[in-house]
Amino acid sequence: MTTAPLLALALALVNVAVALLLSPLAEGVMRKLKAIVHSRQGPPLTQPYLDLLKLLGKEDLRTTGGLPYALAPALSLGSVLLLATLVPLGAAPPLGFAGDLIVLIYVAATSAVALILTAFASGSPYAAIGGSREMMMLLSVEPVLAVALVVGAVKAGTLSVGGILAWNAEHGPTISMAIAAVALFLALQAQAGKLPFDIPEADQEIMGGPLIEQSGPRLALFRWALWAKQLIFALLLVQVFVPWPHLGIVPLDVVLTLVKALLVLVLVGVIDAVNPRLRIEQAMGYYMRVALSALAGLAFAVIGM
Amino acid sequence: MANVQGVAAQVNEAVAGRIGAGLRVASQGPPDTLRLVVAPEKLRSATEELLRLRARFLITVGIDTRPLTADYRVLYLFSLDAEHLFVVLECAADPDDPHVDSITSLVPGANWAERECRDAVGVTPDGHPDPRRLLLADDWPEGLFPLRRDFPYDYRPPAAGGVAPVPKQPPEGASVLPIGPFFPVLEEPSYWRLFVEGETVVGCDYRGFYNHRGIEKLGESVLTYNEIPYLAERICGICGFIHSTAYCQAVEKAAGIEVPRRARYIRSIMLELERVHSHLLWLGIAGHILGFDTVLMQTWRMREPVMWLAEEISGNRKTYGMNTIGGLRRDLPAAVVPKVLKVVDEVERESVAVRDAIVGDTTLLARTKNVGVLTGEWARQVCVVGPPARASGVPIDARLDHPYAAYDEVPPRLCTQQAGDTWSRLLVRVEELLDSIRQVREGLARLPDGEVLVEVVDEIPRDRIGISVVEAPRGEAVHFVMTGGDNRPYRWRVRAPTYPNLQAMPAMIDHAAIADFPITLGSLDPCFSCTERVEAIDVRTRTRRVYSHKELLAMSRDLTRRGGRR
Amino acid sequence: MLTAKLREALICFRAGRVTLPYPFAPHDPAPGFRGKITLDPDRCFGCGGCANVCPAGVIQVRDAGQLLRVLEFQWRRCTYCGRCEEVCPEQAITMSQQFETATDRGDDMVMRLEVFMGPCQRCGRCYTPLTPLDRMDRTGFRTSDGGRS
Repeated sequence: MTTAPLLALALALVNVAVALLLSPLAEGVMRKLKAIVHSRQGPPLTQPYLDLLKLLGKEDLRTTGGLPYALAPALSLGSVLLLATLVPLGAAPPLGFAGDLIVLIYVAATSAVALILTAFASGSPYAAIGGSREMMMLLSVEPVLAVALVVGAVKAGTLSVGGILAWNAEHGPTISMAIAAVALFLALQAQAGKLPFDIPEADQEIMGGPLIEQSGPRLALFRWALWAKQLIFALLLVQVFVPWPHLGIVPLDVVLTLVKALLVLVLVGVIDAVNPRLRIEQAMGYYMRVALSALAGLAFAVIGM
Repeated sequence: MANVQGVAAQVNEAVAGRIGAGLRVASQGPPDTLRLVVAPEKLRSATEELLRLRARFLITVGIDTRPLTADYRVLYLFSLDAEHLFVVLECAADPDDPHVDSITSLVPGANWAERECRDAVGVTPDGHPDPRRLLLADDWPEGLFPLRRDFPYDYRPPAAGGVAPVPKQPPEGASVLPIGPFFPVLEEPSYWRLFVEGETVVGCDYRGFYNHRGIEKLGESVLTYNEIPYLAERICGICGFIHSTAYCQAVEKAAGIEVPRRARYIRSIMLELERVHSHLLWLGIAGHILGFDTVLMQTWRMREPVMWLAEEISGNRKTYGMNTIGGLRRDLPAAVVPKVLKVVDEVERESVAVRDAIVGDTTLLARTKNVGVLTGEWARQVCVVGPPARASGVPIDARLDHPYAAYDEVPPRLCTQQAGDTWSRLLVRVEELLDSIRQVREGLARLPDGEVLVEVVDEIPRDRIGISVVEAPRGEAVHFVMTGGDNRPYRWRVRAPTYPNLQAMPAMIDHAAIADFPITLGSLDPCFSCTERVEAIDVRTRTRRVYSHKELLAMSRDLTRRGGRR
Repeated sequence: MLTAKLREALICFRAGRVTLPYPFAPHDPAPGFRGKITLDPDRCFGCGGCANVCPAGVIQVRDAGQLLRVLEFQWRRCTYCGRCEEVCPEQAITMSQQFETATDRGDDMVMRLEVFMGPCQRCGRCYTPLTPLDRMDRTGFRTSDGGRS
């Protein structure tokens, strides 16, 4: 066994650990922030951990049988953890390879697909509406993600995420990358399921949407997948588009990256606190405009800016 | 006053001219109430004449007067707003088989009222387009009418087996989305059966009155005149003082009791304080429905000092317990006045800041502009009241139309909008909130000295009627009292503002998105507790079939073709 | 749009955190708050005025024998209106400031007051005086310092 695959595996496990263990803390920070905006105390920062512990200890109730339904929560969380290994924490993704950009875009959609399948299998009309909303959001937001990453690919001339990161760290800020970064940030709001785009999970309108029939360990895994997803996407944003300052000392860089990701999530939380929910067609219209603006960034990239 | 007499005489003449000998008796109860007893076969003609005079339908009152008159009486209450006059059309029904002609085809807003009368007293409206059960549960036995005098208030009917409500079926291609009876944004149980195609609502069915508590029956059988205000203030969870004031005013009118001026001022001040905290509560609920929890938290933070103030003035945050027949039980001590001014100053400052912040909030506007549009025309047809009416351009306000308490001396400003959408209703309520603060300040500045209670020494005379309307935050609340012997009313009728407002819902959500249903319902500021202390349920419909979009349109076009009613 | 959001955020931050530490710190209601009814058994003389005016019918008065009148307060149904306090001539029943009255035992919500009644000197039975004033003529009026005249 050569050391390189073992090292890659170890680093992959580090990524997975970060995704699993730090994401509830990030969510706790966002909840506390929302409480501050609400002029109230709010839950402690460790509340999401406690929520997970409580839910994991509950009875596993299923509304329907079948293997896909049973495995859906694990599939959701598993795909997000796989995504974690494709996103760089240090200089390059642990399981990165040439062309991993395409794989990243597909894996990013998988957890949403697992949620949609669960929603339609739940048998509740609210879940069905939530599922169709989730589908519409997915179709609106994925193109933005794709275009933003393609802008990076065009600038760096490579389809590997690590390559784009390296190029960006070396070349400094550019207009096209800035546009792509903003587009990706706006997409993050929907990926994180935060207002004004928490439409699929609209509590007040459809009683919780896709997750209405999920409880106990299944709910724990779905929630964990969502929290991990928001942290991973924040990491992707800061690593690929804002990799400065680059200190060269790996542990410091990792800490800096995590701090930057947390700041991004804080901004997401502030936007979440000061917005009502949009309707699904309004959100789709909005993301179409964002995608078109991201294409402007692509145009800039093509002409060399 | 002389003006009202003159108008009453004119109305009397007009109706007499129309139905001739059909007008049996005309009398004036309290000075602002004209009571016309008409022959049953002339009821519809008399109604037509009143509508021609631009009267607005309020409610029906079905009374079992068999001990007094050996028949049933149904009273139709109308209001001539601009002339400050109430007109009561009274007609008798046969004691063995009570029927009256239905007036719903003339006044769509009478739909629920007539069915309620049938459920409660057993007087069947002939020709009613939808004579289904409104108030009573589906498993309530046939032939048992709770508001009849021989029906004991604590009777428990035997459990029924195998009975289920018959829900309407969705139209072709639509699926059913049930909202309620338990749902996150409904504070009280009500069942809306939405028929949806994708995300668009194409029809609905409604079943309510899960909260019916039999309050009117209690008021007639168990409680005495001075105990009823405590029941009245528990009709609603937010606007208790409105109901106790309206009840006391109705009895005071019927008995000719003159309330001291200071008491009237304090009643006005407490009513306006209630409006302030109720509108702030509504603003929070509207925000919560839209997912904007920050608005919920902040507005409820802003209203909390008002609740503490109420606790200091009256002894409780919400059930003030201040009203009694003849005035108030508690005075407003002079030491509390500077505290009131301080609290309303702070509320005003924060409300203005919130208003200035949200008018520019495009996301909020995207969810409320052109959502749940209620046209002025339809608002008049179904007799919508309160901010939903004023937001559609209908200029009615009970404080100006039938001044009570101290509103003749400290009048409010009429706040209207024209667009009739959710945003307009929000603007109307914010303006009213700020105007209420102005009225509180003015009321306190001009607060007269003197007594707050006039002692009622003589027994309240029986068989008198009194109608009192009070502008609750949600709209106009109507209390009707017919005095009886034995220290209690013979009949006490309550119509809350949400009662007519809910009947406007199907038109407002027609072809709206599902996402807009909660906020549209919320923008009416529905208070199901108020609505359901009576007996009635029903979806505004003229057929027994599904409320399809086609049917709603057909109904609406049909009424327009008849030339409208106003 | 951005200014609207900034204004909203400013309102929030200016308010600070308003959560009260209750129940970890006490929170007293405003003076004059109508809380749980409190009985002073020394002052009650069994007139039943409170029972007469209670809208919820919480108070039941009955004679348990020749010398004993029992008043029972089923105050789980009390609506805290304060009419009993208003009517009582001896201020034997008052509304306290207590609002923490939740309990899981129904027995906690019943109060029983036994009043020793004076017997008739001729037949020996308990009697209700014609008016409360008659009774007070015998027992004496209560003075402001708590004694009896």
